[in-house]
Amino acid sequence: MEKKSKISMSTHEAIWGYVFLLPWILGMIFFVGGPIIASLILSFCEWDLIQPPKFVGLDNFIKMFTSDKRFWASLYNTFYYTVFSVPLGIIGSIAVALLMNQKWKTVRLLRTIYYLPSVTAGVASAIIWMWLLNPDFGLVNYALSLFGIKGPLWLADETWSKPALIIMSLWGVGGNMIIYLAGLQGIPQQLYEAAEIDGAGLWGKFRHITIPMLTPVIFFNLIMSIVWSFQIFTQVYVMTGGQGGPSDSTLVLVLYIYQHAFKFHNMGYASALAWVLFIIILIFTLLQFKLAGGWVHYEGELKK
Amino acid sequence: MDETKKISFWESKKKQNFIISGILYVIAWAGALIFVVPLVWMIVTSLKTPEEIFTIPPKWIPISTITLNYDLNIKSQRDGIAEFSKRDDGTRIITIDNFHHVIPESATVLVKKRTKITKGQVIATMPKQGIVKIIEHDDKTKILQVVDENGALIKQYQLPENIKLFVKDGDIVKPGTKLVRINPQWQNYVKAWAPEALDETFNRYLLNTIIITVFGITGVLLSSTIVAYAFARFRFPGRDVLFLIMISTMMIPVQVTMIPTFILFKYLGWIDTFAPLIVPTYFGGGAFNIFLMRQFFMTIPYELDDAAKIDGCNYFQIFSIILLPLVKPALATVAIFGFVYNWNDFLNPLIYLNSTSNYTLALGLQTFTTMYGTDYNLMMAASTIVLLPILIVFFFGQRYFIEGVATSGLKG
Repeated sequence: MEKKSKISMSTHEAIWGYVFLLPWILGMIFFVGGPIIASLILSFCEWDLIQPPKFVGLDNFIKMFTSDKRFWASLYNTFYYTVFSVPLGIIGSIAVALLMNQKWKTVRLLRTIYYLPSVTAGVASAIIWMWLLNPDFGLVNYALSLFGIKGPLWLADETWSKPALIIMSLWGVGGNMIIYLAGLQGIPQQLYEAAEIDGAGLWGKFRHITIPMLTPVIFFNLIMSIVWSFQIFTQVYVMTGGQGGPSDSTLVLVLYIYQHAFKFHNMGYASALAWVLFIIILIFTLLQFKLAGGWVHYEGELKK
Repeated sequence: MDETKKISFWESKKKQNFIISGILYVIAWAGALIFVVPLVWMIVTSLKTPEEIFTIPPKWIPISTITLNYDLNIKSQRDGIAEFSKRDDGTRIITIDNFHHVIPESATVLVKKRTKITKGQVIATMPKQGIVKIIEHDDKTKILQVVDENGALIKQYQLPENIKLFVKDGDIVKPGTKLVRINPQWQNYVKAWAPEALDETFNRYLLNTIIITVFGITGVLLSSTIVAYAFARFRFPGRDVLFLIMISTMMIPVQVTMIPTFILFKYLGWIDTFAPLIVPTYFGGGAFNIFLMRQFFMTIPYELDDAAKIDGCNYFQIFSIILLPLVKPALATVAIFGFVYNWNDFLNPLIYLNSTSNYTLALGLQTFTTMYGTDYNLMMAASTIVLLPILIVFFFGQRYFIEGVATSGLKG
């Protein structure tokens, strides 16, 4: 009795493993897997939540790609935002991480300051930026005026509304900075010492040690940054009152999905839009995994 | 000869590094200054009067003084013939070549009707001094008037609540006298907390947010630790595949699950309740948190489990008595991330909460801005109210943020 056989022990363990896993499995079924399938089915339907859903085949997608100008606008705006905010964000956060990796006495305080804006992200920081970017009395345009530049209307101007969002996103680089900082601190000091003996300068060390050793972190961060930037919503909603204006210049994909689902109650069309977003993110992620071999350096991992 | 050359080379390199480090230091602080300005500006603006907001150049200290200021001599702006007219309120208008000069009651007019005036000529003089008269309103705001001996108005100032008067009723003042100091407008926070244009006060939003956050964090902590325990400590078929699936759910945009989930909650009758915001946290607690907890569990040696097993502990006891106390820092990290997430979350409350009495701080703040679109002082006060708890938690829990990111970002 005391001694169970080896098989029953491992079965016992497996059963308990599944028991502990149960909350997640249920969550996966009810809040992830189920809804994903449901939204795929919905994307082929028309449903206003009042009448029963009606199967319409590919109509939603055909309409989207052939006659929905706002869809194309939202796609363009989302890509525009991603194309600029992701690379600038990564460069910015690496640059700040390099600075924060110095051995200064005040470096902890500096880290705090740089990190702070990334925890305040949300409605409040969107409001702060509305005020900073106020065309007449905002600090940004005042700062520009000190250099003799007449600042644009920012959020009230079609051409400057997206750059305004990008600038705002850069305020949050502190969050990724911490990830890169941890990455930098994980680079063995001997590598630098060896390089110094070989006569490498600051640039050489950066180019041939820091960057390659950081590529796994950059890779992970790049994927997540793209995933997140495709989902930009709160800032736009708050700054434009849920409209995505002026003249749809800040209508991003998620805002458009939101409008169709919860303002116009086109659940089918909104699901189709959400699936397009999902597929775009999927393609980008898979593409990056495919390209990763070319530039991501896994030497550090082998040491484990 | 060779020797000295070598030393100077090292010295120059050291010097070079020192200079570079110095430049970087300056850049780092300049950048930090730019990063902190928005938050400082938020607080500064929140303490200003409506008039103080809209000034160029911007005022960095929300304290200002009002100095009695008027020209003793009113000069003509144009050449032309003087025409006289009178407004209903008694002020006189002298029109010279289509330019209207407003002449206060207390001024002495020096020109006659239909006379020829040249530009720059003095057309009226103001009294050299005046008497202070203070009128208080019911809403605690004041009007400060400076009048001449006949009671005719020279100059009038509308004053906010929070002021320090340098003069009192009946004082005789000349141009250049400091009249009032306007102090930081702390009552902006009172006004923002209980906005007149909204049905609810921030009391309600705060309470709702606290309820959602507390139950949300509890759910995340309970379920993410249990699930992470399963992933870290048990061998069962399909574990690694499930773990991979779990990790890849991080890349699924919430929008793709949002609509069916909304419909599900609608059928359950949970719309406009907190349940859709709380209940899902008890089912896994989010891939990131599970991953983070698992990483922490992995660092604890298995021997502890084995020893506990020999002592007769079951899996629940191993989990709660042995392992949980050892991952306290990770629990703190998850709790803090959960706090920040719930506090800032906007999309979910926006979708699920309809009545203002159920709004969270984020939703309340957004509604506030739609009602007070240009009252930036009040908007900044409201934003400060919403951000303050986050800032406090951040300053006390900084370590956990940084540890959390470092653990999850690197060892993956």
